[in-house]
Amino acid sequence: MNALPTSFFGWVGFILEKYGTLFLSGVGITLLVAITGTVIGFAIGLLVAILRTIPVAPRAPWYRRLPLRALSALLNVYIEVFRGTPMIVQAMVIYYGCMYMGLRMPVLVAAVLIVSINTGAYMAEIVRGGIISVDKGQKEAACAIGMTHWQSMVHVVLPQAVRNIMPSIGNEFVVNIKDSSVLNVISVNELFFMSKSAAGTYLRYFEVFFITACIYLALTFTITRLLRVLERKMDGNTNYIIYGSQSDSKAAIVVPKEGGVPND
Amino acid sequence: MTDESAPILRVSGLQKRFGEHEVLRGISFDVHQGDVVSIIGASGSGKSTLLRCINFLEQPTDGAILFHGRNAETEWNRAQYHAKVGMVFQSFNLFANMSVLKNCVSGQVRVLRRDRREAEEKALFYLDKVGMAPYRDARPAQLSGGQKQRVAIARALAMDPEVLLFDEPTSALDPEMVGEVLSVMRELAASGLTMLVVTHEMAFARDVSRRVIFMDEGVIAEEGAPEEIFVRPNQPRTREFLSRVLGA
Ligand SMILES: Nc1ncnc2c1ncn2[C@@H]1O[C@H](COP(=O)(O)OP(=O)(O)O)[C@@H](O)[C@H]1O
Ligand SMILES: [Mg+2]
Repeated sequence: MNALPTSFFGWVGFILEKYGTLFLSGVGITLLVAITGTVIGFAIGLLVAILRTIPVAPRAPWYRRLPLRALSALLNVYIEVFRGTPMIVQAMVIYYGCMYMGLRMPVLVAAVLIVSINTGAYMAEIVRGGIISVDKGQKEAACAIGMTHWQSMVHVVLPQAVRNIMPSIGNEFVVNIKDSSVLNVISVNELFFMSKSAAGTYLRYFEVFFITACIYLALTFTITRLLRVLERKMDGNTNYIIYGSQSDSKAAIVVPKEGGVPND
Repeated sequence: MTDESAPILRVSGLQKRFGEHEVLRGISFDVHQGDVVSIIGASGSGKSTLLRCINFLEQPTDGAILFHGRNAETEWNRAQYHAKVGMVFQSFNLFANMSVLKNCVSGQVRVLRRDRREAEEKALFYLDKVGMAPYRDARPAQLSGGQKQRVAIARALAMDPEVLLFDEPTSALDPEMVGEVLSVMRELAASGLTMLVVTHEMAFARDVSRRVIFMDEGVIAEEGAPEEIFVRPNQPRTREFLSRVLGA
């Protein structure tokens, strides 16, 4: 610990040894904020999409149409505002705004809140796209057997919509891992914030942020792969069984998806 | 006490406009218990819109649907009405995220609050009836058109409907699959199910239905027993339509 390193990799090794736990705790906070924010944002997106697609009967009385209109206008404002301003600005406004009104949030709570609301606005639009991708005949069929709007969305439309938008959801996740770094402006001690403090001591910005970049890349790469696996899980088994007769399930044969369907 | 002659379904003065476009211009008819009514007419005459209005997939602009004498829009619980008046679509509209069995179970469980075991038994009973029980675990995407439509019929039947609406159930099918669906529908008609069938299958309309409605430009141009419509049509436009579809 007496002589300081002289080479680039010497510094990298030195910093890793000295600030390893700092980086790790930064990674922990970054993951925590990104995962919770994405999950909550996704839930917000689903809810907003369900609310925005409530059908309005043209012959319905005004006291039923008006609240729906107001709700939909409100949701549009929400989406426009949060998609139309940078998250770094939203963080400042929300955090200091709350403080201004006498509400002192723990920064971690504020961080999750901001990422969730911000992600929710994007997710709402992504989910809307997913709903459009599901042919509307299925929604009508669900309605025709008496399902409510909520039931048909939850059991028929959204499961398919979500499968179709998995790539975009993954995108949001990756964006959140990276963009949670802007939360350093309200002193959330995520990975970027931790890196800054590590770099400050010996003024080794290049070496430290080289490490930081590698960590971000490792995180996003892992997440993308995991989501791919999840997608494949969602597609499920491509084989199915044809039961030879109802009483004799041993007569069942397995038909691969591409194998064509034999006649019974 | 229900009157023997009281209609199960009464369509009264039904009108539907899309913007300026008047698609249904005052449609009235009765459907009695056990009736099999075929609705024929040129493409664009409003047949699908009629069925969709009966099932409230479209909001009628004017007029009323009476089910068991009560206004379906205001005096029936919407979910209950939908359960009792089922629909089979031209494009099948099976739930792509569910197996064949689940397609037939989910409505029973969600809407009728049936116990899952009971619902599965009922679903399998009707799947067996349409010859699709062996495929209970298949996904809709893995089935042929005719098989999909038979599953769709089983799904509708599993709700124990009193009336089943069919909107050109065989029009999207390859010719060799039309027969399998029609034979299922014939059996249903024979079993006494009340059916309202929009169809281009003139043989079905003539041989299976009790009554034929000919629609033209949003009105019922002519209505009667199949032998009247097909053998002695009164209206020139009926004659013209029939000679066109039956082939000169
Ligand atoms: N949602 C809609 N919006 C506007 N016009 C429609 C809509 N649905 C149907 N139409 C019009 O209504 C007319 C009747 O359509 P439809 O009921 O499908 O006829 P059919 O089933 O007899 O072929 C057509 O001219 C069609 O363009
Ligand atoms: Mg049609």
